[in-house]
Amino acid sequence: MNKLYLWGIIIAIAMLGATYVTVGYQKGGLNGDIVNMLAVAGAVALVIITIFVVIKYVRQMQVDQASGELADESWDNIGEYKNELPMGWALMFLGTMVWGMWYFLAGYPVNAYSQIGEYNEDVAAHDAKFEKEYASITGSRLVEMGESVYLVECVACHGLNADGNNEVDAADLNARVSEKTVKYVVNHGSNNKLLGTEMPMPDRNGLFNAETGALITDKEIDEVAAFVAGGLKDTNSAGAKVFAGVCSSCHGPDGKGMEYVAPDIATWSQPLIVNVLNNGKVGTIGKMPAMDRLNSKQKEAVAAYVISLTQGE
Amino acid sequence: MFHWLEKHPFFFAVGVFVVIAFAGLIEIVPNFAQASRPVIGTTPYSTLEIAGRQAYIKNSCNACHSQLIRPFKSETDRYGHYSLSGEYAYDRPFLWGSKRTGPDLHRVGNYRTTEWHENHMKDPQAIVPTSIMPGYPWMFTTNADIDTAYAEQLTAAQFFGVPYNKPVPMKDGSTTVVKLGNSIAEAHAMALEEAKAVVANMKDQDVKDAVARGEIPEIVALIAYLNRLK
Repeated sequence: MNKLYLWGIIIAIAMLGATYVTVGYQKGGLNGDIVNMLAVAGAVALVIITIFVVIKYVRQMQVDQASGELADESWDNIGEYKNELPMGWALMFLGTMVWGMWYFLAGYPVNAYSQIGEYNEDVAAHDAKFEKEYASITGSRLVEMGESVYLVECVACHGLNADGNNEVDAADLNARVSEKTVKYVVNHGSNNKLLGTEMPMPDRNGLFNAETGALITDKEIDEVAAFVAGGLKDTNSAGAKVFAGVCSSCHGPDGKGMEYVAPDIATWSQPLIVNVLNNGKVGTIGKMPAMDRLNSKQKEAVAAYVISLTQGE
Repeated sequence: MFHWLEKHPFFFAVGVFVVIAFAGLIEIVPNFAQASRPVIGTTPYSTLEIAGRQAYIKNSCNACHSQLIRPFKSETDRYGHYSLSGEYAYDRPFLWGSKRTGPDLHRVGNYRTTEWHENHMKDPQAIVPTSIMPGYPWMFTTNADIDTAYAEQLTAAQFFGVPYNKPVPMKDGSTTVVKLGNSIAEAHAMALEEAKAVVANMKDQDVKDAVARGEIPEIVALIAYLNRLK
């Protein structure tokens, strides 16, 4: 037997022994852990393969004679034998070219990562989930959703108690309209797309009192403002008469409004609130920005919540 | 030629770099040039807005507020459409920010109003009780630096080709022209006109008086800037 093989076997046994001892000293030893077993098995394979591959090439260097057909080229007097391509290498080379073609033409263009694409998928998945879980909720669950949306989106201006905020002039949502608002709207007219479309209300120069046959007066404005802000309850008051003469032709005798003509000014209604969220509004106390980022169910929910605020009374 | 390259390692290295970088260059450069073009609807800043922007930078608003809405559902729900690179085309420097101690402001003009900002800048806790933002009361008495704002505009127009006095396309198909004053005096007059429009929605009497006198408090410029962030 060649001396090299002997040395190889000795070194292999020494290294395997060292591995065994090292691992064996650890807690639990070889039997304790599957990972240790795998490590040792791997070490055995590696050591044996390495040693025998090294021996093979050392032997080859010792005994091999240069032979074969020389190529014509001479690179600074260093010649080269004509060798067959190793089959494995050739297959990998061709395979890489085929894969490269596929990747260039189909792989990258079709499968490339896009941040916006991921975002769109995310939104679609979320919308589908939202649709499934919340599309049909009603009643108290809708009010709860409305409250949670309110606490995120609306609270910064309208306040925790929804009683508005005088500092930033957000409306008090616990009542339909304030006296101040009625006076402003009568004096200046209004066009806030409360019905979803442009539907201007004239200012005081276009508001006739059918009962007196004249334009609305300052006194009548004060009276009707008190009546409307009071929730149109005191039907015997002077304001009620003004309302019947001036406002009811559009807003209805009960103030509930008419479709396509005038909004409900007696109570909050869902279409009204959704229209305000969609379009924002400008009025006596300032400008409310549109909150059209909410989805339609959320708008509905906010409306339900605001309506629930006044229903408690 | 290749023989020559073999003898000159430096130029050979440059040649290798160009060859290797080529694919990257033809992919990245045109895409980058395309993406950094102004988005339709993005207009250059007016004098007052620039002054507000400078006040924003001066008071380090960008240390706590970002101006970059990332394409995540949670962010677009809260702040609106994710930011596009072309929307920063006229920002020098951009104010993306890297930390949100406060909320993102890239589209704050969509959901906050002049009045809200006025009260909030004076005393944040009066509007949002749990806010940790400090008040900025001195903005109501310090005047905005219109001269520097005008200088910045001139630089942007002359050296960076920002299209002042030229029609800029808007989303609805129309065009808008953002004017640049021909002189400092004209720039002041234009900024004052803009300031009057902002102040009309404000309540602080001292600020209103200051604008009536022809001064422009920083808060007015800042609100003009914040309202334009859409």
